Amino acid sequence: MSSPGLPTPAGQGAPPPATGGPARSARSSALRRTLPGSLAWHLGSLAILAVILYPVVWVIGGSFKRSEDIVGSLDLLPSDPITSNYTRLTEGIADVPISTFFTNSLLLAVGSVAGILLSCSLTAYAFAKIRFAGRNLLFTLMIGTLLLPYHVLLIPQYVLFRNMGMINTYTPLLLGKYLATEAFFVFLMVQFMRNLPKELDEAARLDGCGHFRIYWSIVLPLSRPALITSAIFTFINSWNDFMGPLIYLNEPEKYTVSLGLKMFVDQEAVADYGGMIAMSLVALLPVLAFFLAFQRYLIDGMATSGLKG
Amino acid sequence: MQQGGNVERRTILKAAGASLAVAGLGATATACGGGSGSGDGTVTIRYSWWGADDRAERINKTIALFEKKYPKIKVKTDFQPYLDFWKKFNTQASGGNPPDVFQNAIGFLRKYDAKNVLLDLSEQVKAGHLSMDGFRAGLDKFGEIDGKLLGVPVGSNSMALVIDKPVYTRAGVTAEQGWTWDDFHAAMARIRDRTGRAGDSGMYGVMYLYDLYLRQNGKAFFTETGLGFTEADLTEWWTRAEKGVKSGVYADPRKVAQIKPKSALSAELAGSEFTWDNFTVRYTSEGKSEYGLAPIPTTDGKKTGQYLGSLMLSASKRTRHPEEVAQFIHFMVHDPEVAKIMGYDRGVPATQAQYDAYQPTDPVNKAIAAYEESLVKAGVLEPITPHPGGADICESAFLRIAEEMAMGKRSVDEAVKQFFTESKTALAG
Repeated sequence: MSSPGLPTPAGQGAPPPATGGPARSARSSALRRTLPGSLAWHLGSLAILAVILYPVVWVIGGSFKRSEDIVGSLDLLPSDPITSNYTRLTEGIADVPISTFFTNSLLLAVGSVAGILLSCSLTAYAFAKIRFAGRNLLFTLMIGTLLLPYHVLLIPQYVLFRNMGMINTYTPLLLGKYLATEAFFVFLMVQFMRNLPKELDEAARLDGCGHFRIYWSIVLPLSRPALITSAIFTFINSWNDFMGPLIYLNEPEKYTVSLGLKMFVDQEAVADYGGMIAMSLVALLPVLAFFLAFQRYLIDGMATSGLKG
Repeated sequence: MQQGGNVERRTILKAAGASLAVAGLGATATACGGGSGSGDGTVTIRYSWWGADDRAERINKTIALFEKKYPKIKVKTDFQPYLDFWKKFNTQASGGNPPDVFQNAIGFLRKYDAKNVLLDLSEQVKAGHLSMDGFRAGLDKFGEIDGKLLGVPVGSNSMALVIDKPVYTRAGVTAEQGWTWDDFHAAMARIRDRTGRAGDSGMYGVMYLYDLYLRQNGKAFFTETGLGFTEADLTEWWTRAEKGVKSGVYADPRKVAQIKPKSALSAELAGSEFTWDNFTVRYTSEGKSEYGLAPIPTTDGKKTGQYLGSLMLSASKRTRHPEEVAQFIHFMVHDPEVAKIMGYDRGVPATQAQYDAYQPTDPVNKAIAAYEESLVKAGVLEPITPHPGGADICESAFLRIAEEMAMGKRSVDEAVKQFFTESKTALAG
């Protein structure tokens, strides 16, 4: 909901190497040819950047406005900035301190990332590196689960977890992540592992490694880009997940940030848009931090993947 | 090395087994704890409702009062905004795990009764855990369907014309009890001409207003099983609306859509809007003007067709503690202290005791109380229109299709056909 679009401004804003082009012609003519061109290019990119950044700036500006000035107003910046939207957050919502929501969300997100990384990579290793009976069939079935809409599973899963007495705990939200049920990540890692040279694990096998050793010492380190991609996506998905926490958690003390955000506004009541916007900005920070911390490895991994390891 | 690998595998398998066992233990533990009876006779009931932060703080205070008076009953609350509430409720109800007691509205009674979700509270009334005495204006009958008591009203609201007072003064328009639709339309045109603002925000999409219009003419929006009007009726209503939009008597639907979720009234696009009287509270906080309540126009100069709408508390059929749930509902609708905390948050209190206990001090809530009293005095209140299962879907379809018609995306005839098709499907289900 709130996080996509992070990579976009950078991608859009990158200027092409238009300036270093035709150096052979006379200086004046080069100026004539490149200056209007590059000027137009830069102005164009800046215009696009402004369009893309407008909502972001609006939200930041909105967090310093009064609630009644937020909705329906197109003004970017507040005419009379206030900070009460942020100080209001320290009071908590519905008698629950805001930090509770963040702790819960963080717990779920980190738990999900750990689960996905362990279970999906292990499963992917089996699919990519081990020949066993029914491998192709199982792989197809697993890919098939991608086609199942979430809503088909919603009620059966709910009944299942209810019968196991796990409603109002975090288990329903985490268990699947530790059992490699996220077919997309398994698929991503399988594709990545298939491209790792076979010679590496053959060499390891000759040296006496078993599957777990090959998985742990050879394949996993080489799969770092795929793992980091999965980690970033999982973190963001878990942080933004609304439907899962909505139906499985029954006490405001256990709510996540995405549920907490919804507590500010109801159609019947006086809506606190200011508080909601301030909190959504604060809620953005962990995702942003996680992305910034790991995207470095992502690019790094892409550049060095191959036979170096 | 081969050996090492095997050892590792074994340890991992062991670890996995151990963690599964732990998970299993955890599961049984929560199964016991999550159930609601424990050794010392304390029971826990789950109470869900829709609303936001402000309502949550009030409700938490009333629950603290309740738990003090009934130390053996613990109440756990859970709330979401309106739409998310019903998503969650539907999943839980289908999964056999609905909350013990929950906030409900009249439009949902038949729907969930048909799905066997609601508890018939009349048994508890007989047993003396819940009293249905002392309700105002016949509200005690509101939650009764086919002889079953499926909901207990906590407050009442009625449809009103919420007006921007300074705009009405500037245009020289006064709205009096018993004014007719012709008077109303003349007033809307006058507001447009004198203040340069549309008179009304778009009444053609408000199902509850059209219901009143139909009732003034001896019909109603719903019968017990289906729609209570014909395609010709709706064509007439929407043809008039289309003209109103074109002539600027009603606000430009595009602008109205743009400023959502702010209302057209508080965004100063229109001089008035038909809605429930308690919405004035929201408009006052959203808008900069002063808002008042005006009566619903009539067809014959007398009958407005109005009735009280209401939020209720319902219990779920699966609750293991019907007695405690009934005691909880009883406390919430009769206790005067609860009324002082809740104010008019869920409508004007349903019981006389609670109504007397809370005297509003701010002008907005005073106006709501005065409006409700004026309705009782004018003697215009009638029994409520039945709400068949699917009524909630019809309401949102009515609003959406009316908007599309007003924006010119559909002709009136197409819109009418579309509404009848959609509502037939909804009401058949």
